Amino acid sequence: MPPTEGSLKDLDDKTSESVVKFVSEVRSGKIQGSENIAVATVDLLEKIISESETTNALSLCNLVRAVGRNLVQALPTELAAGNMVRRVLRAIRDEQRAHANQSVEGAGESLQRLVLAAPSRRATLGPAARDLKEPIRDHIAELRAELDASTSSISSQARSHVHADELLLTYGASALVECFLRAAGTRRFRLLLAEGPDVAESHAMAARLATAGVSVALVGGAAVGALMPRVNKVVLGAAAALAGGAALATAGALAVTAAAAHHAVSVVVLSPLWSLSALHARGGQLFEALAPASRALPYQGVESALVRVEAPLYDVVPPEHITLFITNLGGSSPSYIYRLLSELYDPNDYQL
Amino acid sequence: MENDKENIIQAVVIMDLFNNNFEPISNKNPMGLLPVAGVPIIDYVLESLVSGGVGEAILFCCQDSLQIKDHVKKCKENKVPWSITLDVQIISSDTCQTMGDVMREIDAAGLVRGYFILLGINSITNINFAALLEQHKQTCKKDKGAAMTLVYKEVAWQHPLLSNDKTLLLAVDGRNHKILMHQKYKPKSKETSVSLPLECVLQHSEVKLHNNLVDANIAICSPSVPPLFSDNFDFQNRDDFIHGILINEDILASSLYYTMMKETQYGAAITNWKTYQTVCWDILHNWVYPLSIETDSFYKNTFMYMGRHIFRKTNSSLSRSCTLVEDVLVGAKTHISDMSRVSKSMIGNNCTIGNHVIIHGSHIMNNVVIKDNCQIINSFINDNCIVEMNSNLEGVVASDNVCIEEGSNLKGNILVETIKNGNDITLKKTSSESGTEWENESSGKEDDEYVGFDEEWSNSESCYSSDSSAESSLPDSPIPEDTNIFLQEVIDSLARGYEENLKCDYLILEINSSRYAYNIQLHEVNFFVVRALLSMPILEDTKSVLSTVKDILKYFRPVISNYIKTKSSIMDCLKAVEDSCIKNIWLDGKAGQIIHLLYEADIVDEDSLLEWYEDLKENESPLKDQTSIVKFFEWLQEASEESEDSD
Repeated sequence: MPPTEGSLKDLDDKTSESVVKFVSEVRSGKIQGSENIAVATVDLLEKIISESETTNALSLCNLVRAVGRNLVQALPTELAAGNMVRRVLRAIRDEQRAHANQSVEGAGESLQRLVLAAPSRRATLGPAARDLKEPIRDHIAELRAELDASTSSISSQARSHVHADELLLTYGASALVECFLRAAGTRRFRLLLAEGPDVAESHAMAARLATAGVSVALVGGAAVGALMPRVNKVVLGAAAALAGGAALATAGALAVTAAAAHHAVSVVVLSPLWSLSALHARGGQLFEALAPASRALPYQGVESALVRVEAPLYDVVPPEHITLFITNLGGSSPSYIYRLLSELYDPNDYQL
Repeated sequence: MENDKENIIQAVVIMDLFNNNFEPISNKNPMGLLPVAGVPIIDYVLESLVSGGVGEAILFCCQDSLQIKDHVKKCKENKVPWSITLDVQIISSDTCQTMGDVMREIDAAGLVRGYFILLGINSITNINFAALLEQHKQTCKKDKGAAMTLVYKEVAWQHPLLSNDKTLLLAVDGRNHKILMHQKYKPKSKETSVSLPLECVLQHSEVKLHNNLVDANIAICSPSVPPLFSDNFDFQNRDDFIHGILINEDILASSLYYTMMKETQYGAAITNWKTYQTVCWDILHNWVYPLSIETDSFYKNTFMYMGRHIFRKTNSSLSRSCTLVEDVLVGAKTHISDMSRVSKSMIGNNCTIGNHVIIHGSHIMNNVVIKDNCQIINSFINDNCIVEMNSNLEGVVASDNVCIEEGSNLKGNILVETIKNGNDITLKKTSSESGTEWENESSGKEDDEYVGFDEEWSNSESCYSSDSSAESSLPDSPIPEDTNIFLQEVIDSLARGYEENLKCDYLILEINSSRYAYNIQLHEVNFFVVRALLSMPILEDTKSVLSTVKDILKYFRPVISNYIKTKSSIMDCLKAVEDSCIKNIWLDGKAGQIIHLLYEADIVDEDSLLEWYEDLKENESPLKDQTSIVKFFEWLQEASEESEDSD
């Protein structure tokens, strides 16, 4: 643990109650989709911060970290929640630094500067008797505006990536990819939509795009390998962009990107800023997380009681399969993700 | 605020199963605390209520309510997710013996405000209760009498949840999902034909038959349900209720509907050890999402997933050479030693498993010690048990604190620890010669099936109870089942009334209520009451049968005169005497005397007697040549001639 932090503290009753409520809403499916979870997390944090009695940076940081720790433990598969906690933590730190008249350029500075600046940095979170709540609320409002705008700012880049007469391929249903393709709709491109694990949603998305005037062909997930030589570009939505430049995408996406890599087709991954995660793609519980078995097989036949159904939630797409990440801020190559991370989060908060 | 309260969905959870399918485990601990895949059932139920949109739960305990109260209190202190949004109310009543009693109690106390959800503590599901309740309300708008919507899960007919439980045949109107017929069969029943009432087909343009439904013990009820239970005090359980409503649909002005869960939803009821096992595996296989093995750990994710649906707590320890094959759950601080092999099993906290142990399909609770070279297959071993070396257990259910001796070889036993003389702990084995008998333990109630684990992993027929005591007591009786049960009930109530000197008025009430429960015709009632009087258990033991019969007739005179009034009822009465004298050995050869007693008590008249005697001769009944009968009629003839003479 960095020396600038106080001890790990537990939440008081009221806060833990709202955290548990949030968690159970997510688990029971009342809040669905990473983006909604991100928004709800920001709301939760704002509520907790405005209800807390302390106003100084150190105790606020500890509070938010404790909330974050609980969230990450309870929702290991929802990376967006943890990301939002890190963003808010960063906001608190920035605010404190700004008031301490220090450089806001905290993260990613040179080793030399880090060493030299150490004593003053240590002081940054010292107890100060100033009310930080108001500026933090402004930061949170900014963050919320960014979340709201993320889809539109990514879609607005569509025209620079999708060109006329191109054959695009996408895998599974994703609201973001749909918006992106619609925004590119004036260009006369053709789209192959490969069915993901959520077949019905894929079909619905194909129907919506078709009515919007995009020429869509729906193909089975298994046909992707055969079709890949003709494809010009693969567009994928990511559940998360990971620290090493890998992406976490719907189960089955790895097969698509592997085929794309084999045929040297470029893969564009749409990842809004809230999906940028400080996690590295190493083996762990998260990447083996199982979806409810009923997603793969209805509970009906005899086999449902006798067989073991493994329905993985995500595939990790390695960085070498990915040509470009498109974030709110523009395109960036996988090797540049670490830089974005250090701009968004404080390195102290990578581990909540 | 008032309005808010009305919109909160209420659920009534009945915390007892009112059967002995889980004995001896259910004796000490309430059913609600039975761990399923490491989590007490009550946690699943409350969690599923919350995620289904229920705001208030009424837990109705009939026994062990203290333990449930403690558990709920502890959960609230720990801020378990459901405790925040769910208002839990625990009601306890020791006097309730059946589900019907519970409903009457609920009606009397006015606990429910309107539409509510009724489920048993054994229901494991992930359905959306709020949506179903809305659907039921829509049904009620179309049909004012809609009392209940039953929730079923459709599965293939060979599915273990169906084949290990009472199978259900449901005839429904295909258009409006109204239930027309509801019939439950015993597990693996040999019945090959189905009888469907004709009007069922004639009056409805589309009739669907279902025998592939899992009853998850969930029902959406209208406000009229508790009063219906109160009005019909013979409704003992939900099946009684369903039958009662279906038979008297016009009188009670109520009807039943059904609905099926979606393909992706899960619903099952734990009714016996086999369904327990199936549900445990389903939970482990993540079919019941969002309910999972983490449900009680307050989302702390203390499990480590090892692939192949093997989960272990992070602080459990596995030896390097032990093998976990598939579908295994290992609890906290449990240690599994060298060369042991575990498959399809749940192991609780703080257990120690020795070397070279084989565990398959078993459920091992907390603090169990299993020593070297044991083999445990399809068994349930409760807390604090010790299994000594070289033991071989198959299909065993062991209650807590049992110590299984070294080298014992047990198949299909139920082990109960009994305490004698202070601390001297001995082992009581519920003995069984063939290992098939232990499923027949359920001598208490006629509708229980005690289904245990298979000893071998096959669906052997022997695992199901064949006949229950009520039927087997009259093995050669040609009487159909319902009337047979009715007779047994009448005998029971009369015997009790005689012993406890109850008022005959009450007994008449009791008999009448049994009559409606089994739908017995009036002439049959007359027959059975007399038959029951002559079959009372007291007659079996007594030395002077006739004087006892005389006492009985004298005591029950009001009962008899209530039923035997008309000419035809007297004939019923005499037929009953005939039947009793043939079937009951203690009345052998005493038919004449019995009839004499009846004649003297002015229950039967002369004309009917003579008519009956003619019938006897016509039907070549074995009684007609009995000396006592012949003598009696000779005497009767003389007596009547004498009286004529005197005129």
